Amino acid sequence: MKKITKEVLTDAANRLLFTMSDEQYAKLEDEFKILIKQMEKIGEISDLDRYEPMTFPFDCTTTFMREDVPEEPLPREVALKNAGSKQDEQIKLPKVVL
Amino acid sequence: MNFEAIIGIEIHVQQKTKSKMFSAAPNGFSRDPNTQIAPLDMAYPGTMPVVNKQAVINAIRVANALHMEIDHTLYFDRKNYFYSDLPKGFQITQQARPIGKNGYVMVAVPGGMKKIRIERIHMEEDTCKQEHFMDYSLLDYNRAGVPLCEIVSMPDIANGTEAREYAEAIRNIVVYSGTSDGKMEEGSMRCDTNVSIRPYGQKAFGTKVEVKNINSFKNVELAIDYEIKRQSQLLLQGKKIQQETRRWDEASGRTVLMRVKTDAVDYKYFCEPNITPIHMSDEFIQKAIETCPELYDSKKERYLKMGLSETDVEVILANPKTAAYFEEGVPFVQNAKNLANFLIVEINSYLNKNGITIQELELSPKTLGEIVTMQEKGGLSHKQCVDILNKVLEEGVSPEEAKKDLKIVAQVSDTDTILKFVKEALDNNPQSIADFKAGNQRVLGFLVGQVMKASHGKVNPAEVSRLLREELEKR
Amino acid sequence: MNYLDLSIRELHEALLAKKVTPLELTEEALKRAHENKDNAFEFIDDEGAIAFAKTLTEPEENNPLWGIPYVAKDNFSTKGIPTTASSDILKGYVPIYDATVIEKLSQAKAILIGKTTLDELAMGGSGTTGHLGKTYNPYDPEHKRQIGGSSCGSAVSVAAGIVPFALGSDTGDSVRKPASYGGLVGFKPTWGRISRYGLFPFAPSLDHVAYFTRDVYSSAVLLDVLAGRDNHDSTSSNRPIECYEEDLDKPVAGWKVAVIKQILDSISNEEIKNHFIHSIECLKEAGITVDFVDFDNKLLESLYATYMVISCAEATSNDANLDGIKFGPFKEGKTYQEVMFNARNEGFSELIKRRFVIGSYCLMSENQEELFLRAQRNRAKIVEKTNAILKDYDFIYVPAAPSVAPSFDSASDRLSDEYLIADNHLALGNFAGLPSITLPLFLENGLPVGINFMGRAFEEKKLFQMANAFEKLSGLKDLSVNNKKEGNL
Repeated sequence: MKKITKEVLTDAANRLLFTMSDEQYAKLEDEFKILIKQMEKIGEISDLDRYEPMTFPFDCTTTFMREDVPEEPLPREVALKNAGSKQDEQIKLPKVVL
Repeated sequence: MNFEAIIGIEIHVQQKTKSKMFSAAPNGFSRDPNTQIAPLDMAYPGTMPVVNKQAVINAIRVANALHMEIDHTLYFDRKNYFYSDLPKGFQITQQARPIGKNGYVMVAVPGGMKKIRIERIHMEEDTCKQEHFMDYSLLDYNRAGVPLCEIVSMPDIANGTEAREYAEAIRNIVVYSGTSDGKMEEGSMRCDTNVSIRPYGQKAFGTKVEVKNINSFKNVELAIDYEIKRQSQLLLQGKKIQQETRRWDEASGRTVLMRVKTDAVDYKYFCEPNITPIHMSDEFIQKAIETCPELYDSKKERYLKMGLSETDVEVILANPKTAAYFEEGVPFVQNAKNLANFLIVEINSYLNKNGITIQELELSPKTLGEIVTMQEKGGLSHKQCVDILNKVLEEGVSPEEAKKDLKIVAQVSDTDTILKFVKEALDNNPQSIADFKAGNQRVLGFLVGQVMKASHGKVNPAEVSRLLREELEKR
Repeated sequence: MNYLDLSIRELHEALLAKKVTPLELTEEALKRAHENKDNAFEFIDDEGAIAFAKTLTEPEENNPLWGIPYVAKDNFSTKGIPTTASSDILKGYVPIYDATVIEKLSQAKAILIGKTTLDELAMGGSGTTGHLGKTYNPYDPEHKRQIGGSSCGSAVSVAAGIVPFALGSDTGDSVRKPASYGGLVGFKPTWGRISRYGLFPFAPSLDHVAYFTRDVYSSAVLLDVLAGRDNHDSTSSNRPIECYEEDLDKPVAGWKVAVIKQILDSISNEEIKNHFIHSIECLKEAGITVDFVDFDNKLLESLYATYMVISCAEATSNDANLDGIKFGPFKEGKTYQEVMFNARNEGFSELIKRRFVIGSYCLMSENQEELFLRAQRNRAKIVEKTNAILKDYDFIYVPAAPSVAPSFDSASDRLSDEYLIADNHLALGNFAGLPSITLPLFLENGLPVGINFMGRAFEEKKLFQMANAFEKLSGLKDLSVNNKKEGNL
């Protein structure tokens, strides 16, 4: 497991596209200390490896798939209604450098 | 020092389903930006993905054609990263459980066939399209959510030619299974290649360089061969190869550095909780396979059996629409080869001349078949049939009307009738007989002309020529 | 007392008899909404609600929701009505489509009068973290106590008699806990029973559409309308829906109820304990078998960490779509990264950011096995244990919360070293996706305290029947700040 340091947390925050104050990083470090301790305790539960990681609360396997029938698309002005930066019926961003 | 190249290819294929991978927005090419969108495609809060059945069927068909093991339960995962073209901030893909794995495809190499192993095929969704200008970019979400199949090869490819052959083999499968247009030029099929080299005999792999932005099959070959050469030269100069992503620059015929790869991006994959596992019965999978349109290789084999040459087969199969046209016309002719000739030469040149596709051709395969039959059974020459075809194409008349308008009459091949004309011609030209006997072969042409004239061109000139020789011998 | 303090059934009768009209009800609900001082609303839709109410002139006999005003938590997509999830990142956002439940209620001609406050993006349990600040418990006019969260504004709206029912969402206990603090019936069905299409996700594998009412009958009738397969939500169930209220009054004698001993033991409030134990006696008198069962303490203590890891991990991904590009405030920047960064940096509160970092850290490839996957494995174990109890028992019966509504200053950070099992155990119902209902038990110095029944997957009908029997025992049907009662338990 990656060691929790302020650098690691800062990097994680930046990768999530935001930053936090020093005070918040300190608070976060404290929270992590508790959480990691609790998770380590969970790791001690003896037969945990016997269990598959659970995403769905119960077996909800289905056979359903959507038929390939297109529906009426959104009118363009509706689709773009909430966008704050637009030009030529498209969303405009500063040049994306590849 | 000699190097061997180790090449793996990741191919993204855009599926031509009617709707998108996880939304019911139409999946259709539109010049009007942002007109093919459902709320999910712009990641509006609260929207949820629903799997497109046809996209799954297509993936099964391709997986089967690639001899893969097909997973009977579908799971999807989230690939998390931020990018301007990724509306949700994650892409729904199949990381842990691809729909197909452990397959292969056979490709032609000098002296035989080579097996290229394929690691996996999985389904995912396309990103939105970005158009770049001087100081800004514009986003069009029409492409966002279009179903993709990603096919990942094992590093079994040794050079540019094999890479092109491999890409073409995949193209043939995705096109003939009805999955995709498979057009690299238009981006409906994209090849990202990983190229590394090592001295012959060395076990360890060399540093991998990724080459992207390759926009044609020919360029797959060129880009890889260039990259092998570039890397070899670096090593020969004692330089190091750095792990990087390069892009193929068509204009200069070179690969150009895009970015140096630092540490690998952590995509923080996890199982998509908004799509419950989907079980596919044996029957469902079997039906998807059984109803798959006939694939390239099978068609090729069949056409060869019809007597077509290898080259003709390849020309026809290069475009599935041409192949479909051909197959529709076959029942109306005696010999498929004759139909193929008309299609490859006359029809293709007509299409090229008029800048239209075969789908836009108004001539039905049946009518073309009728014209071919005029040559096969109606006693008309190839040239005469071509004249009829051109009139039909240009004026939209029926072949019979064209024939009448052009005053084309069937040639007579009946020996007795022809012999009558031949004898008459010889009787009228005793000097020509003498000249022939004296060794002047050219009078033969004159005599044929006389026969044709007397018969108003109705007789078969080859037959005239043969009978003339026979008669001349006798006299 | 006023018509708005009545239950859906009584209101329906009054509407049928034309004693009151939908317009009158709506105007009164809007008036109460505007007068409320508990910070319950993100948006009150006077115009839309009145316009819709005016169209409802002929009562529909077989439509129990006809003309009844309601509110929805501000994390349901409502076409044309601003929706922020109480976060600045969505300030000014006007959804372009209706959530399935909003559409169903609109078809049933219930009248949406407003959108209610929540903990920012539904990530919280205190009703204090939304961008409009604290939401107050209407039982405490001095505004010192929480109503709880995250569905705080919806809880207030029903407890204060603004509307007879309110939509919320429940990922850990976000409806069932506030229901306890607000003296309400708080219900969440089986995962997949109600479509989540249009509910802004927090953690989809735990998220449920849930709701508040003041009586069990209303809760059951609402499920008739809201339940069912929706092809926009592939996780919604194909099982046929039932008439959930038809067996409400049938006998419950002979049923078996399990009380998890460790949960009760973790409660230090003696009065709550005593009332709860008294309720057990009453249930027994009604012919129900009640047994104390064991639940591994270690597992119960692990609930909160497990919940944190799973929910934060899912949330960090769900909310990656919030970047100011497609919707929400667009922030200028020199590069696209700056544009996204500025929107997210200014749009999220510090608490949300910390949660996202936690979630992201748990998903990192080198941490996944020990954090995210471990939490998911532990979830499987917890669920197995829960279902094992429900194999032998019809319901699990526990206090819904360890105390009455906490005051704002006493409220501890939930991620503290002290485990309080009884503050987190309702998440069992989310881990296992089981139907679960909170009902008022008694009032301690005028502040309500609730209990919770949890049943087997898709046995909502039976759960309502049990809840109805309990409601008769407690005598706390239709409890609200306008209709205070003593109760029998």
